[in-house]
Amino acid sequence: MESLLQPILNGVLLGGLYAVIAIGMSTMFGIVKLVNLAHGDLMIMSSYLSLVIVAWLGVNPLWSLLGVVPVMFFVGFFIQDFLINRVLGKEMEPPLLVAFGLSIIVQNFLLLIFTPDARSLTTDLAVKTIPLGEHLNLAVLYLVDFLLGGAVILAVYLFFKNTYMGRAIRAASDDEMGASLMGVNTRKIYAYAMGIAMMTAGVAGVLVGMTFTFYPHTGPQYLIIAMGVVIIGGLGSMKGCLAGGLILALAQLLGAHFTSPGYQLLFGYGALLVVLGLRPQGLFGGKI
Amino acid sequence: MVKYKWPILGVLFVGFATVPVWGSEYVLLFCLLYCLYLAMSQMWNLLAGYTSLLSLGQQAFIGFSGYAVAVLTNYYGVYIWLSVLIGGFFSVLLALFMSLFIFRMRGIYFAIGTWIFAEMLLLWFSNWKYVKYGTGLFIKPPHPPSMTTIYYASLIMGAGATAAIYIILRSKIGLGLMAMRDDEDVSEAMGVEIFRSKLFCFMVGSFITGLTAGVLYVFQIFIQPYKAFAIDWTVILVFIVIIGGIGTIEGPIVGTFIYVLLSQWLAEYAHISLLLLGIIAITIILLAPTGIMGTLHQKTGFAILSPRRL
Repeated sequence: MESLLQPILNGVLLGGLYAVIAIGMSTMFGIVKLVNLAHGDLMIMSSYLSLVIVAWLGVNPLWSLLGVVPVMFFVGFFIQDFLINRVLGKEMEPPLLVAFGLSIIVQNFLLLIFTPDARSLTTDLAVKTIPLGEHLNLAVLYLVDFLLGGAVILAVYLFFKNTYMGRAIRAASDDEMGASLMGVNTRKIYAYAMGIAMMTAGVAGVLVGMTFTFYPHTGPQYLIIAMGVVIIGGLGSMKGCLAGGLILALAQLLGAHFTSPGYQLLFGYGALLVVLGLRPQGLFGGKI
Repeated sequence: MVKYKWPILGVLFVGFATVPVWGSEYVLLFCLLYCLYLAMSQMWNLLAGYTSLLSLGQQAFIGFSGYAVAVLTNYYGVYIWLSVLIGGFFSVLLALFMSLFIFRMRGIYFAIGTWIFAEMLLLWFSNWKYVKYGTGLFIKPPHPPSMTTIYYASLIMGAGATAAIYIILRSKIGLGLMAMRDDEDVSEAMGVEIFRSKLFCFMVGSFITGLTAGVLYVFQIFIQPYKAFAIDWTVILVFIVIIGGIGTIEGPIVGTFIYVLLSQWLAEYAHISLLLLGIIAITIILLAPTGIMGTLHQKTGFAILSPRRL
């Protein structure tokens, strides 16, 4: 039992990180009904952006958030405004395929500039742990991931609940026609929503970069994690996003604990397929 | 143009069939890759363009069947072309197993489900001692087939896949599929057996994709899980079909040509060719969503392999 506490603790903390990876994707699905297949790659792009800032200014990666997050807002805004808004319509496929193409472009662009070498955002946090018991250690970096991730999700929640822009975005998502009759420019609203989603991806990218190594091709791996979280929790639900992150991370770490670390991802996918088979709309999702 | 449909196709086929006679080694290689990618992209086109099964997991069939060929020839000494055939049937079995889970899903869920299956297979094979983990296997038949033989096998796949999709679409199932593509609920009410038609196409798609992958690995002689189950396969197929024209039989014929040309031309810079393909594909979705052949058809009425009966 003692030995189980460590994977559970790590699972919970990692779940917070998974939730922040997925929150942007969940938001975009909820609002624009867009499954952004480039989410993982844009997130990894922000890891590289942070890497550039850190190398340039020699600051702690957490400070690079001040640069990465605003840049990612504009990246998201323009992607939505110039590319995806043009193909939004009744059909689901064209926006999906545009995002897919974008994902490949970002990946190969990163490969061209940064070479296929493994990178990471090094901090002195990485090696610090807080002992909680004889066999139980709390990795400070995981705690930072969890707390920052939680803060981002809370911020997104409050934004949608309390600000004018947030309400306008929700209105546009509930009833596009109605919102536009009330004077909301829905297409611009979608672009803002994408900008916000990409801001969260920016935070996630920096956190992931600090916690794990990354390559130009790691994007799809995190896209699958994000999709896993969103599908388990239910598309477009914020509560679901947190719950999905926890379930996925716990399934992975406990599965790896009982078998071998090589199977960590396999258990995550297994959990995902079980939820997809039994309850395709996710735990907190409405009907689809 | 349509009047000369069969003579044109006949000349094309004879041209391809005699490549080993008139072509250089390089032309032969080009045509071989062309036929293999044509077969696989036609099958993605059948699924995504006609059956509204947007699969992002074609690499599952490619890798699974490729490994079947490797294991059967290396470990059991099965005759190489027989093991390719068995690989195709393994691929169908995989499709049947997958369908138990993913046929309850629609649209994007289906896409994600197929992709996750492929990722699971990648993890399984890269952690499996029997297939030497991630190091991969060399396919070593006792009598390796000559390049010409492999070329004819790939020609059979390319021409066969194109013929198969044409025949399916001209049949009753195809009529149902096209009705379903336009309106799934109404067509079901009119008596189209949606589930069975979809499953049929999924199985045909997996069979031909698996067979083609078998021929491909006989040609490449080396299989490794990170390449065999990589999403890159589906990326390439998606780009080929979108650029050529999704939901047209001519589309993949043109799209594959562009892809193979670009990838051979930029062979040393694979990522640049993918970057370019991505940009071309996005431009096409934005400006001409029906692709090259679809747009040509709308503008001029040109269609050489249309499944329409009029």
